[in-house]
Amino acid sequence: MDAMYYGDVLLVDLSTGKTEQVPFDEADEAGPGLAAGLALYEKYSGDDPLVFGSGLFTGTPVPGACLGFVLGKSPLTGEAAVSPLSMYAGAEMKLSGFSAVVVRGSSAKPVYLWLHDGVADVLDASGLKGMDTWQTTDAIRKEMGESLIQVISIGPAGEATRDLAAYSINYWGSGDSSALGSVMGAKNLKAVALRGLGMLDAEEPGEFYEKALELMSAAPAERGFKAVCSGLGGDDVDAWLEPLVHRYRSCFACPTACSTFVKYNEAPDVMSPDGVEEPGMLVISAAAAFWLWQGGWGAEAAGRAMESMAREGIDLVRGARELSASPLSDPGEIASAVGGLEGTMEAGWPAGEQVSYDAFGPWVPPLAASEKWLAANRAGYVLGVCPALLLAGGVDVDSLLGLCGPAAGVELDASGIESLFT
Amino acid sequence: MRVKVKPLECTGCALCELACGYHWDEAFSLISSSIMLYRAEEKKDYMGVIVKTEEDLFLGKPEGPEAVKLGELQQRGAGSGGGASAKPILIREACDLCESAGLEPQCVAICPQNALYLE
Repeated sequence: MDAMYYGDVLLVDLSTGKTEQVPFDEADEAGPGLAAGLALYEKYSGDDPLVFGSGLFTGTPVPGACLGFVLGKSPLTGEAAVSPLSMYAGAEMKLSGFSAVVVRGSSAKPVYLWLHDGVADVLDASGLKGMDTWQTTDAIRKEMGESLIQVISIGPAGEATRDLAAYSINYWGSGDSSALGSVMGAKNLKAVALRGLGMLDAEEPGEFYEKALELMSAAPAERGFKAVCSGLGGDDVDAWLEPLVHRYRSCFACPTACSTFVKYNEAPDVMSPDGVEEPGMLVISAAAAFWLWQGGWGAEAAGRAMESMAREGIDLVRGARELSASPLSDPGEIASAVGGLEGTMEAGWPAGEQVSYDAFGPWVPPLAASEKWLAANRAGYVLGVCPALLLAGGVDVDSLLGLCGPAAGVELDASGIESLFT
Repeated sequence: MRVKVKPLECTGCALCELACGYHWDEAFSLISSSIMLYRAEEKKDYMGVIVKTEEDLFLGKPEGPEAVKLGELQQRGAGSGGGASAKPILIREACDLCESAGLEPQCVAICPQNALYLE
């Protein structure tokens, strides 16, 4: 498939530091997006692979087409698990010049992977060892002289291969609730840095673009977490954060701006760049915010706790669940509490119900019933569209499937997506 | 008539860049558009939108919009209206309001937050 993907599969052997490129065709025959990723995961399963990839529409103007993925064996379950590359990371992955990246084995010393313009470098990360994710992001961007590089990194929690570890995307944490950050730590892979300057073609570009524009026009342009939280306890979390809100932020190509930048180290209405260097935190996880709100935390303290977890490379949701029972306000005490987190698997939405765990992470029936939740995640990771937007009804899967033909000349329906996973 | 920006309405989805890039290349990328986000100071959440015209750059800065003559941006440092991350737009095509394609400006059409307008 030439359309919608850009470049070969990159194989990285961390035990030797060598890279190799192989055609994408074989994996692509399994299906787009995560289906191809699973084929690569199976093919190299003997090498404990971490597979980085993107969905069919990732990086295009389809509503919510921000999504890439990381696929590996979760230490929490011992099974293959998927975590999201959201914000700009999925699109940069798609445009980096590699249709997918398979990281095999482990390195004797800390390294990071630098992907740009179809070039891959395995670089020494000894100087990054011990750094938190904020320091790591700053250091890599400074070393490369490019502030738009997307940095998927681990902090001290990942280096220590803790079960609570998660990779962070730049400064803000991620939706990694499967401890794939711990897998990165076990591999001595401190970070994957991405810069995507590639270009994506469509099979029928005019038809694809026009249909994508139609879907975008009909999609909701919401702000805050209320869109993704509808039916999960109201929008109180938005009102709770409101006094600290600086701006709302979208992931790439998403009409709904559910991430919320809160400032607590300077006035939220400061718009010039002349203020403090680190004024606050981009709150990307509605579930983490909900846990802390439900536990009686103040919004400022919650922002500091999420910042601290993101810096350490700790899963925001599982960490917030643990912290929720004991609200704190002193910044030093918050940092100390975050450092002492142990971790748990039992952390889905804070609805007080039984949490289940599968390849896409934790979820809570029946608020997101299994069939609906699974269907949204499968479609989302195949198509590269945020599952939260699908679950919120921002765009329907059937409409998206109608884009597969003009996008890449493939025909896919809902049962076809399900069959990719059976 | 030109494309202007309501910077505080922008949420950084980059759809304007994709639509503009498609206008020029009939493909999807972030390297050829006449409009681009500047988002270099991520930790500060300092983000705006730049539009290149034949004469100037319209800087949709969050603290207030401003038009700057071509070339002047290069003299500026980071954080003062785009800075280093905005330099790539200087070598790109100037906005033609999508007239060459006979369409309304596609960045305005696609922006889900109505952060772009014609004036």
